Amino acid sequence: MELPAIVSRAGGALLSTLQHVRLPGVGQASVTDDPTTAAHRWRAVTVLKAPDQVGSSASPPPPLDRLGDRVEVRISAAPGDKGTELAARFLGTPTDDEIGELRAALREAKQRLETGEVLRVDPQPHGFRKPTPQGAALEGMTDQADKEGVL
Amino acid sequence: MKAATWTGVNEVSVEDVPEPTLLNDRDVILKISQSVTCGSDLHLIGGYIPFMRAGDVMGHEFIGEVVEVGKEVRDRKVGDRVVVAPFAACGSCWYCKQELYSLCDNGNPNPGITEGLWGQSPGGCFGYSHAMGGCAGSHAEFMRVPYADVGTFVVPEGVSDTRALFASDAASTGWMGADLAGTEPGDVVAVWGAGGVGQMAARAAMLLGAEQVVVIDRVPERLAQVRDNVGAEAVDYTTTDVIAELRERTGGRGPDVCLEAVGMEAHAPGAPGIYDQVKQQLRLQTDRPTAVREAIMACRKGGTVFTLGVFAAMVDKFPLGAAMNKGLTLRGAQVHAQRYIPELLERMRRDELVTEHLATHVMPLTDAPEGYRLFKEKEDGCVRAVFLP
Repeated sequence: MELPAIVSRAGGALLSTLQHVRLPGVGQASVTDDPTTAAHRWRAVTVLKAPDQVGSSASPPPPLDRLGDRVEVRISAAPGDKGTELAARFLGTPTDDEIGELRAALREAKQRLETGEVLRVDPQPHGFRKPTPQGAALEGMTDQADKEGVL
Repeated sequence: MKAATWTGVNEVSVEDVPEPTLLNDRDVILKISQSVTCGSDLHLIGGYIPFMRAGDVMGHEFIGEVVEVGKEVRDRKVGDRVVVAPFAACGSCWYCKQELYSLCDNGNPNPGITEGLWGQSPGGCFGYSHAMGGCAGSHAEFMRVPYADVGTFVVPEGVSDTRALFASDAASTGWMGADLAGTEPGDVVAVWGAGGVGQMAARAAMLLGAEQVVVIDRVPERLAQVRDNVGAEAVDYTTTDVIAELRERTGGRGPDVCLEAVGMEAHAPGAPGIYDQVKQQLRLQTDRPTAVREAIMACRKGGTVFTLGVFAAMVDKFPLGAAMNKGLTLRGAQVHAQRYIPELLERMRRDELVTEHLATHVMPLTDAPEGYRLFKEKEDGCVRAVFLP
């Protein structure tokens, strides 16, 4: 593997690590979980649609449906007229990549339901990309950004 | 096409880049007529927000003409002259329905970065780093705008491009601060920062009925604009004890509403300024919060402090005890421009809101590096540099 690819991969890993760091002022809520507990948590988005428009546990909205029987899905009304909570968790013990796949699927399902499309940003205009380590790391982060986060 | 791009810390270049294309069915392509520097761009240029990639097109405050529309765009057509909100917002999520457009759940395709930093992801801002979505900015000949029916607004006849340009961000941000801080008739409002946003916040407070509006800065040309173009009072903090001055002007109470329009690179004279600079450079704090601290200490008991300036992460020596014990309301937000632009354009049409004086330096896009230099150094009386592609 060439150096830029290694640095890019390191950037993605750094973003993953960032989600699990607790420093004063930085960090997120599940950091005190051990990895197994964290991996089995429900991951959820709230969709501004009625529950019957979102789907059902047996028939979750795309692309969440692609995860099939690897995940358990829960669909329930959100309090305060905030729509519907669409949640899923793995039945077995997932890998980090599988958790990333679930995060991305939940986000995409929400976008499709609320807006009818998935917002794209590439390709778009940009100038010369200097081949710097920082730039390669940032590209790694953006490649992983839909699969990471606190979701 | 030509575009002004971030090429490194303190480096802006004009490059030839590919023209944008429609990527989603709700997109439009604009031919940019004017695009302006914003104080928040300086945080990108200075390297304080480390999510810019060399070659990224900058700019998020702009006006242009629609030249192409996606097949799901309903309310815009080719030829429309539109001003555009800086944040891409879907208009369909819960946050958009609450008119909190910069918090849109669906406008940032890179939520993993900001969720890690802040716990949740706000929406995406044009030309404002990959942490904020990575959408290309407006300092270019053409630009793609997603969710066009939600974020673009047709400019009324009789309102000039340069006036309408500032409805995009400076005026809408300033108006948002005065509005969401709860400015009421009879209030005393203090504004920290006499740049475009601070001036517009002051004007908004006046139009919302504030009895007295005081703007604090150190740049003579900006303080003169506050007096001459906005009609507010001006205080130079390099020659005046700001908190004492505000106490004296308010019968000992302090301002009812304090609007901070400075952000994470606040200047401060003397030892406090050196302290903040050193801590920021050593990465022991990411932001310099001088103006916010002063606003909290100056604000009357039970008043409201609203941060309009952009902050990235952590600050030091934050007077939370004063905020708590004085019963203050602390608020802040990136701009919910879609909420305010229609009203602002109407006020601009009626000449209640005048902004042309902010455009102190109007120049070809090819001069963008020099425009940013003048803007950053506040040379030659530069308040805002406007680029003409």
